[in-house]
Amino acid sequence: MLVSKNKDINLLRSSEKSSLLRFLSLYAVLAIMILLLLGIFYYKSQEELMFSNKRIELSNYANEQVKELKLLHHYFPSRTEYPRSYNFESAIYDIERVKIFSTLKNSDINFDKEIYRRGDTIHFVKYLDDYYLGAKYLFLEVKEDKEWYAKTITNIIILGLLTLIIMAIFGLVFVKILLRPMRNSIRLLDNFIKDTTHELNTPISAILANIEMMDTDVMIDKNKKKLHRINIAAKTVSHLYQDLTFLTLNHNQQSKNEWIDLKKLFEDRVEYFTILAGSKKLTFYLNLNYSAIYMDVVKVTRVIDNLISNAIKYNKRSGTITIILRKEYFIIKDSGIGIEASKVSAIFERYSRFNSSEGGFGIGLNIVKSIIDEYNLKISVESILGEGTDIRVDFSKSSMGRGDSK
Amino acid sequence: MIKKIMIINLMLNIALYAEAQTENIYERTCLPCHHYLPSSLGDIYMRYLKTFSGEETFKASLKAFLKEPLEQTSVMSNLFIDRFSVKDKSLLNDKQLEEAIDIYWDLYNVRNKLK
Repeated sequence: MLVSKNKDINLLRSSEKSSLLRFLSLYAVLAIMILLLLGIFYYKSQEELMFSNKRIELSNYANEQVKELKLLHHYFPSRTEYPRSYNFESAIYDIERVKIFSTLKNSDINFDKEIYRRGDTIHFVKYLDDYYLGAKYLFLEVKEDKEWYAKTITNIIILGLLTLIIMAIFGLVFVKILLRPMRNSIRLLDNFIKDTTHELNTPISAILANIEMMDTDVMIDKNKKKLHRINIAAKTVSHLYQDLTFLTLNHNQQSKNEWIDLKKLFEDRVEYFTILAGSKKLTFYLNLNYSAIYMDVVKVTRVIDNLISNAIKYNKRSGTITIILRKEYFIIKDSGIGIEASKVSAIFERYSRFNSSEGGFGIGLNIVKSIIDEYNLKISVESILGEGTDIRVDFSKSSMGRGDSK
Repeated sequence: MIKKIMIINLMLNIALYAEAQTENIYERTCLPCHHYLPSSLGDIYMRYLKTFSGEETFKASLKAFLKEPLEQTSVMSNLFIDRFSVKDKSLLNDKQLEEAIDIYWDLYNVRNKLK
């Protein structure tokens, strides 16, 4: 099975990403707030326009009703039938805002507004100068024509979406402008590493091949020690070379997955690092059960190599490295300097190092994380400053481990 | 014969006294005079209603006018005042006045009659 790799090199570190996210969130909130405000203003202006149209019509109705009230007042009590119309409902209230008579469907009235909407109706208030039948306030009620409302809401949605799209495009342009210097600097560093990597290949291969070919039996002890040191140094450089090659050259290739015997792989890699670990007098403790994982062998090797390499690099002299392998997980535990709790989350960022006293580019754990993410594995770090670090990789879900569970 | 007339007269007086006692203060103190005026109490009520609108305002204004009748505070037309002049001050106390006005308000209240 071929697993597609992440095509894009992750140029942005998490701190930069979070800054970017904060900027985008702020931008989005501001854009939405502006749009909301504009929407409200537009809605209010359309409502006011509708009211001004209705006001003329309702004012005419009110004048008619006043005439009717005047007649009724004059002939009262010989006539007692309240004047009604097919065009509107009405109500009269006295100066103390007590109801005299009402035919309103919606009795939720407002004495202080000339015209307003209530539910599906529009209310219009006329203040009478002569209090016919004691009426100071004449309320008229007409059914609201919802056409303007539907039109306004549709306009708000369409214009709002259009504006949002335009603002989103502007936002993206701003972000690109903001990111350009950041991307350029990271790309420069990546290109530098890429170029350097090409130049490292030949000398490293030559050194390692020649060390292998040398006949140590005829060497005096002093030279053997020197050769041993050269071997350690060459393997360190080789390890770095492997990381850089993976990062710059292999990254965009397809994975060639297969079932890998993890126990055997761990034993091989521990053997490979034995000389390096020996330089710091470190002891490996292996507690390995059989387990297999369906992965690209180059990638799983990069994960294990980087974790062991870090366990060596950040360990104390005469410390220990314990490797536990079970069916669904493995743990690499060192007795090293540990990491501050606040920095644990940042260790997988590219170009970040535990401390500046050790060499390296700070790309090892970034490679580990990218492979872990690609295969949907889970990596967790527990560290106590001054006591050591445990790194656990779980592969139970996607790349099912096979073997004894103990 | 005289005895019979006296008994009938006594009975008539008792009947009249009883009738006077069943009339309320409004009927006793307002109706007798307004009975002779061309503007009925109903018309005056409507004038007051058109001028003062609310119940509290209506009652307070009427009470103030009855206690201190003035041409300036009257709701009647100048023609009416020229002809009949402004009424005399009411001799009723506050409580009696309020009672009479309440009866007057309830009697002509438009709220109960509109349909």
